[in-house]
Order: sequence, then structure tokens, then C-alpha cells
Amino acid sequence: MASIARTLRPAASRLAVAARGNTASSIRSPFGVRAFSATRAAYVKKYTKDHEWVELSDDKKTATIGISEYAAHALGDVVYVELPTTPMEVKAGDSIGAVESVKSASDINSPISCTITSVNSLLEEKPATINKGPEDDSSAGGWVAKVEVAEEGVSDLDGLMDGEAYKKFTEEE
Amino acid sequence: MSPSRGLNSSVLRILRLSKVKLNSNQSRTISIFTEIPKANTQIYVSRSHSPYLNLSIEHHLLTKSPAESTILFLYTNKPSIIIGRNQNPWVECNHAAIRSSPLQPLLVRRRSGGGTVWHDEGNVNYSVICPTEKFDRNKHAEMVVRALHSLDVQGAKVNERHDIVMNTPESTVPFKISGSAYKLTRLRSLHHGTCLLSSPNLKDIGKYLGSPAKKFIKARGVDSVRSKITNVHVGNEDFENAVVEKFRDMYGNVETTFVGEEEGTVPAIEKGVEELSSPDWIYRQTPQFHFSYPSAPASEELEPVQTRSWNIAFIARNGVITKSIEHNISSAPGDSNSSSVENSIIGTNVYEVTDWAHILPVHEQQEIPVAKAMNDMLLVGVTPAQGI
Repeated sequence: MASIARTLRPAASRLAVAARGNTASSIRSPFGVRAFSATRAAYVKKYTKDHEWVELSDDKKTATIGISEYAAHALGDVVYVELPTTPMEVKAGDSIGAVESVKSASDINSPISCTITSVNSLLEEKPATINKGPEDDSSAGGWVAKVEVAEEGVSDLDGLMDGEAYKKFTEEE
Repeated sequence: MSPSRGLNSSVLRILRLSKVKLNSNQSRTISIFTEIPKANTQIYVSRSHSPYLNLSIEHHLLTKSPAESTILFLYTNKPSIIIGRNQNPWVECNHAAIRSSPLQPLLVRRRSGGGTVWHDEGNVNYSVICPTEKFDRNKHAEMVVRALHSLDVQGAKVNERHDIVMNTPESTVPFKISGSAYKLTRLRSLHHGTCLLSSPNLKDIGKYLGSPAKKFIKARGVDSVRSKITNVHVGNEDFENAVVEKFRDMYGNVETTFVGEEEGTVPAIEKGVEELSSPDWIYRQTPQFHFSYPSAPASEELEPVQTRSWNIAFIARNGVITKSIEHNISSAPGDSNSSSVENSIIGTNVYEVTDWAHILPVHEQQEIPVAKAMNDMLLVGVTPAQGI
């Protein structure tokens, strides 16, 4: 995803700001169930520099992957989403699919090492869903894949940014 | 002897030229891509006209070149129809026209996004590969515009679709001369574009790209945007030299290296050619589509059609029929007559069909013309392997 923001940056950051307001409900609050202990807080949603997000389940065995609000808006209108076949074992940084927008095929990369167990087939049917709610992990949302995570994947998370750091990163980019 | 990593590109070029002279028709020389050149700026011009090879060399450069390098690659293909990564070959081209064409155009699915374009010997393709963090959709289209200006093609400019257009005396609407498409990966990104210089086939392109099946298909994926096109009337080599010069202005004065057939012996490139020219890639990578005839489909989903005549409809996923409905005059949707067809055509590879009369359960006189019409629209006759 890294890429896309470039030529559309001014419009993109405007849109991204607007979008954060609109889709607040889709972003899990860190002050919900998870804020009970400091150790749990380590497993909040994490982001990559390539604008993907990953959210680990409480038991650290599964996770959901998607592209960030920032990326979704920078991409422009997504006209096709190519999803991986499952199950697929990948390393952090491997391509797990692609989106097409503005004549560009952009790879979606896995933020962590994991095994992809299911994909969001709604995106095949209605690609614009990824523009509307890229960080929404509900059945109507724009998440990309559900994955199984082993130890390596959990430790990959340490190298990623939390929401705050990612926000700062996109503002600087 | 394989060129060592330390050689700079001008040395490579001399090496290459002397090798080509030594055995031009015999055994292949060792490719310079046996090891990836490490230079920060690299310029290549292909002497091959195979779209499968040229796109595979390009993909090799995208995936294997040093992360910080910027690369220019110029190539010209024999007559071919190049569809975008997520397009439908039955919607984008007229297979009957392709089959009967003396030009024997090849059908190619590229890895970048966007719509369908025509290539032939009067069209030069430019490709710039750079770090993703430096990617910009217009930067290198503007570079090509500067090259065109230096060749006295004054009216050329980049439009809002990132295409290059120019005004002609005959028309107030600008004509398209160059289309762009992009492939973005984590670290490396590619922008490639066509440039119509002197194609002798402009008047026939519409015939190859106008699909008779289009109105009977609702497809997921990407549609092409039609534009009026024209030639720039510049020689291929003049254009190549001008683009190389503008690229050097931006990235440094490096020598041009010629590549071609021998690069096809590099295992990764050879594998790329094999993949790009396989029916699995060309047809089975087609996003899901709904075909309905003679009644055009209303949506992407298979649904009973309200018609007074016989109708056949199917959904194809990865080029294979997964669902179908036959509507009979005598049958209501969902009854036994409707389901009978399912068993017979499900699992059919659309691109492998040689006669729909053998596939459809033709038991009525009226279905014979339907099978014939489907043959005209859907049979593919391109055998890419011949064109490599």
C-alpha cells in the first residue's frame, strides 16, 4: 500500500481526516475491554509503514488484517480487490492480494507472519466497501483477511506502530 | 563468462554488442540479468518484439533490481492486445476478429492495472521503475512529454487521466497518443505507458477491441475507457533517444544496454514468459462474470430472466462456469427444466470450448442459432505459445 498516497496527498489527508470522524464506531476503543491491564494494551491494533493494519485477538491466536483509512482514501476509488486463496502461509511483508484504483494494481502486504484462513469476499462483490470502511472488521466492513498467528507473528507486532505513532507517521509523510 | 557485479553499464554494453556480433543466429549468449546489475540508474532497450518476453523482463526488473535504483526500459511489441490485470478478455476484445486477422495479434494480460491497449511495431512502450516512496503518477509521463516536445511534437500534454494527449488540426478534441498504467509493490513501483508513433493499424484497432459479447456480460473488474487515438508521426529510434535523453537529465548520464531474446534464458524471466503466455493467466485470471443470452444480464448476479424465449445464463469464476440457468418457454424458473442445464455445463472452462453446440443441451431447433452466436462471441482462438 505504501505508494498510493503520493500524487493525491493534499486531497488524501483532507479525506483521511474527514473519514476518521465518520467511522469512529468502526475503530475499537482502547479504553474498552482491553484497557484492563498494561499487557493487554500491547495488543491493540498495529499499523505498518505500508498502511496495513493488524488486530490480534485476545487469545493471540488469530488476527484480522486490512488497509488503513489513510491508504483507502489515498488510493481513490477502488474498482477491484484481488484476494488470496486460503489457506496461505505468509511472512511479514509478503503480498497477500491487491487492489486496483486509478489504473494502478497495488499490492496488499501482510503486516505479520501468519496463515490466512479466510478472506472478505464482500470486497470481490463490492470493492467500494474498502473505501467506506477499511478498518471495519464487521461482516459489512472492508477488512481484508482473517489469519491464524503463531509465535513469530506475535513477535512481528513489536516492530509495528500503534494508532498514535501511525497517525504521526501519516502526518509526516 | 558472466559479467561480474563490478562492471559498469557501459562496459556491459560493449560486452553485449560484441557477443551479439559473434554469434547472432547461434546459441544464446549469457544474459546480463544472470546477476542483477547494481547501478543506481539503469537504461535498457529491448530488441525483442515479444510482448510476453518484454513484460517478463520488465517484471524481473521490478522485482529484482536494487531497492534504490531507478530504471528506464523501452520496448516495442509485435501486434498484440494488452488487457489490464483485472479485465475480462471476452468484454475487451473481439476474438473472431483476432482469429481472422492477418496480423495474428497476441492476447496478453499484463500485471499492471488499467484498461486495454493495442501494441504494434509503430508503438514504443516506456517503463520507469523506481522506489515506491518516490512514485508519482505524472512525473514520468511529463518526462515523455518533454521528449516529445524536443522532437517538435508541441501540442503534447498530460491529461487528468495521466494519459498523454495532443491536439490535431482536424479536431478540437485532443487525441490520445499514450496511455499509462501502474504496478505498485511494497518497495518498488512501476509506471509504464504506450506511445503511438506510426501504427499502420489505427483504423482496425476498434475492430479488434470492439467485443460483440460485451452487452451480454456483466463483469466484476475493470472497464476500459474509450479514447480517440492518433499517431505522433515520429520514428521509433528518435523517440527512444529523446526519452533516454530526458531520463538522463533526471537521473544521470548512463549508457543504454540492449536486451532481448537471451534474457529469456534467465530462469525467473523464462518462468515469467511461461506464466504470461499460459491460458491459466490470460483467461483464468478473469474476475467473475455473468453471461446471459439472448437476454442481456441485468446485474452481476445470476437471476431468472423475464423473457418469452429460450435463454441461457451462467456465472464464470476463474474462467470456469460455476452456476447456470436455462430458461425454457415451457418452464418456470427453478423447475426441473431449469436445473437440467446446470449439470451439463457447470465446470466448463469457457476458454476451452470449441463449439457451444456440444456444450449446451441443444434439444430444440431454436437453440442452434444460440450456440452459433455464442461461438461467434466467446470462442477464443489465440494460442499464445505460437507467438513467443
